[in-house]
Amino acid sequence: MRVTDFVKNNLTVLDGGTGTLLQQSGLVPGELPERWNISHPNVITEIHKAYFDAGSNIVCTDTFGANCLKFDERELDEIICAAVKNAKDARDKSTGGQQKFIALDIGPTGKLLKPYGDFDFDSAVECFARTVKAGVKYGVDLIFIETMNDSYETKAAVLAAKENSDLPVFVSNAYSDDGKLMTGASPAAVIAMLEGLGADAIGINCSLGPKQLKGVVEEYLKYSSLPVILKPNAGLPKSVEGKTVYDVTPDEFAEDMLKYAQSGIRILGGCCGTTPEYILKTCERVKEIKPKPITDKGLTMVSSYTHAVVFGDSPVLIGERINPTGKKLFKQALRDNDIDYILNEGLKQQEKGVHILDVNVGLPEIDEVQMLKKVCFELQAIIDLPLQIDTADINAMESALRRYNGKAMINSLNGKEKVMSEVFPLVKKYGGLAVCLTLDENGIPETAEQRVEIARKIIATAEKYGIEKKNLIFDTLTMTISADTRCAVETLKALNTIKNELKCRTVLGVSNVSFGLPCRDVLNGAFFSLALENGLSAAIMNPNSNEMMKSYYAFKALKNLDGNCAEYIENIEKTAYCDIPPRKSTDNGIRENNGDGEAGRTQLQNAIAKGLKDKAAAITKELLESTDALEIVKTQIIPALDSVGKKFENKTLYLPQLLMSAEAAQAAFEKIKAKLSESKTKSVGRGKFIIATVRGDIHDIGKNIVKLIMENYGFEVYDLGKDVPPQTIVDEAVRLNAPIVGLSALMTTTVPSMAQTIKLLREKAPWVKVIVGGAVLTKEYADSIGADYYAKDAMETVRYSLEITEN
Amino acid sequence: MPENVILLKKYDGSMLNPVNEKEVWRYAGYFGKGINVSGELKEILRLVEGELADRLSLRVCFRRMPITREEDMPVMPFHCKSKNLASCIKDSDEVIIFAATVGIEADRYIARYQKLSPLRALVAQAYSAERIEALCDKFCQEIETELKEENLCATKRFSPGYGDLPLETQTEIFKLLDCSRKIGVSLNDSLLMSPSKSVTAVFGVKKP
Repeated sequence: MRVTDFVKNNLTVLDGGTGTLLQQSGLVPGELPERWNISHPNVITEIHKAYFDAGSNIVCTDTFGANCLKFDERELDEIICAAVKNAKDARDKSTGGQQKFIALDIGPTGKLLKPYGDFDFDSAVECFARTVKAGVKYGVDLIFIETMNDSYETKAAVLAAKENSDLPVFVSNAYSDDGKLMTGASPAAVIAMLEGLGADAIGINCSLGPKQLKGVVEEYLKYSSLPVILKPNAGLPKSVEGKTVYDVTPDEFAEDMLKYAQSGIRILGGCCGTTPEYILKTCERVKEIKPKPITDKGLTMVSSYTHAVVFGDSPVLIGERINPTGKKLFKQALRDNDIDYILNEGLKQQEKGVHILDVNVGLPEIDEVQMLKKVCFELQAIIDLPLQIDTADINAMESALRRYNGKAMINSLNGKEKVMSEVFPLVKKYGGLAVCLTLDENGIPETAEQRVEIARKIIATAEKYGIEKKNLIFDTLTMTISADTRCAVETLKALNTIKNELKCRTVLGVSNVSFGLPCRDVLNGAFFSLALENGLSAAIMNPNSNEMMKSYYAFKALKNLDGNCAEYIENIEKTAYCDIPPRKSTDNGIRENNGDGEAGRTQLQNAIAKGLKDKAAAITKELLESTDALEIVKTQIIPALDSVGKKFENKTLYLPQLLMSAEAAQAAFEKIKAKLSESKTKSVGRGKFIIATVRGDIHDIGKNIVKLIMENYGFEVYDLGKDVPPQTIVDEAVRLNAPIVGLSALMTTTVPSMAQTIKLLREKAPWVKVIVGGAVLTKEYADSIGADYYAKDAMETVRYSLEITEN
Repeated sequence: MPENVILLKKYDGSMLNPVNEKEVWRYAGYFGKGINVSGELKEILRLVEGELADRLSLRVCFRRMPITREEDMPVMPFHCKSKNLASCIKDSDEVIIFAATVGIEADRYIARYQKLSPLRALVAQAYSAERIEALCDKFCQEIETELKEENLCATKRFSPGYGDLPLETQTEIFKLLDCSRKIGVSLNDSLLMSPSKSVTAVFGVKKP
């Protein structure tokens, strides 16, 4: 019998802890328990047998830390071979009459994945894959992934299990006392991701005692459509006469587990501190209970690495701004590999209140697979919103979905057979909420009825792939009324039918409706309200449009979706007014002395010196109407920066103040850049400058300060990020023919990779001048590794770079 | 306090000393004496504190372990030839090893503001650095109180990378404390800790 069939009809009992038992048998702190499979097979077999005798249906092999980071390939294989044998021996010897299964146990690697750690996602999948393959080879009944406290590592392990076996996969996460994983994911976020990935049972283990896990258990029972696992600790550890004991007794434990079984937990066991006695007592208590049925909750969810977004009555806003269509600066940013520009589009939309970000980086001349992968990764490093992967390139879609931390939205598929046959397998494998356009080989049907027909066909096809309709969201296609005034009516009609008759979720790209007409926002806002009233679940929209945001807040308030109208009251003032044109200033760079600033400074220079971002931007914008852009840079911005920079060097002003001015100058530069790109004038460029934090080092605050100040001075800065391999830096230096490379390292342990980078640069790009900096470096150190210059701060980097480029 | 068990402590921000602004500004690059921090900058610190304070997850895991001696050098639970540490704990028969962190949200906040405002990122980084020190102080102060009941006291604390205690010691400390599982701190190949605002340290337990 497959374990999944058993679970379907029975309460299933797992085993308990092994750590305490092994310590009693003589395992010393720091010793790897997995080795005991080989050195002490009898001890391990006895422990497993004790659990089978106590009534466990599933016993986990002693392979929690059996991975390729801790053991070499040969030893890993031997350990897993022995571990599976020990568990099988125990099963054979046990007299218990219950169904008995053996699970390959997989715990976390102890390494944190990128971006906050240094373990690559693909390497993590590969690492787990080796353990899985060995487990399959030696014959287990299921794979039990447990004690995972990071959602991303959990995903890597599940993918490895699914890709290398046909065995059932159970997944259990360790939640902290704040009810979240260590890396911040809520239960709902983890559940959405794991259901998407096709886990067979999911749940909770370790960290706390049964009572303290109540909140997390409730969340699981509320959101999960899969059987839920619970495997708590025996409370908290304490020491009595030199021995570790836990503060929940076997009887108390069994009592708590009985209550959880009654409320719907289907798979029960124990973690740290529990022993065969705990399991025996639990079995006795739950023996008579009829298991509570597992129900499909029918929830449409997506998730990020922190939280889930549930598509319910309240409309979901999907920001559309990360998309190059019709955006000159965005296209340029893509060609220049300027990821920061794209990230800022994401941050701005988050501040405006969207719930999900659409990510489209398709441009014919760029490598979309690499770009989409990179942008999604970088977005997930700084923004905790779920993403909507938006691409027509199936390879780009797969590589982004694979590495996405959570359950993504997928934009899009449609009724064409070929598209469905490509996209559905990805939805099935990686999970996701698929945006389904109601069009097919014959194009977009005119009538609502025909669009609904296509929706039916998509639902039926999805079913064949094992994809439920809760993971489909239908777009009935907004067309402009300037071409045909009937089309909005048809779109809304189709929307209404799909929502109310097919009982599916819906989405629209709202703003198409007004294309070709004046004051588009007015129509967009009104159409949005109508669509919401017809059952729209989510809108792909521009959150900078006040009209859209007004409709959204008003709709929620009016439809009883905003308790006490709190959200409306909090936000409406930001969006309720039209933009008032700024008051005209009279200064055009004329010197002023209003007692407030230093004599002889212009308004712009004053704003920069004082670090007033908004003011610097506003003044620059005005100046640009009458003054040449480059002239402003030369006569106003640079002198202002110079004066601040000098004060910094003389220590009459400090780093935070320097940064305030730099940010103000940056704000002025944004305006200048926009103007220059309009008039197609060449940039302010003083030359190219590559900057990176070297391999192994993940600190980048100093590097980013240098970057900002260098940009202020007109250098074209190429920021390669942190933890950058020498080869990447060299390749970029050659590709860009860059005259200067800046390298940063904060740790003594990473200076060697700085030395390596310099060596490689000398070989492959001998023209490059290398500036180094960072906390542990000194001039002597810099000389010894062959750098051209040691800069102790950002201003020194500027001075030296100016020297080089001016000569 | 039990011996040889990995124990956990969790703190609420309000349990720590209030933010020492002078320290924050020192971490942010303000040296020199009698500096006047401008109102705008103070405002940024208040903003950072307002947004970040509640997101910090202040945790410590620790373990009390006996040590022996060979000739004049202590035999620690980890390999150690550090003379500085040896002299620091010369009167101790036990040590307490601990790891503390303010959690990953500080890193996320800093990374986010790297893109939006490097100034705010700098202040956030200085603020978090000050908080992790305050956390270590609070923890050590509590241990000091607990030890007093046993008529014992603690030596000053010592971290890998400090004096002649090599950074490589981190690897062993991480094994002894199971940091990744207990408080979500992991070590990368360059021996950097993630979350970055984390500290490991060891101190001796001795008679007063």
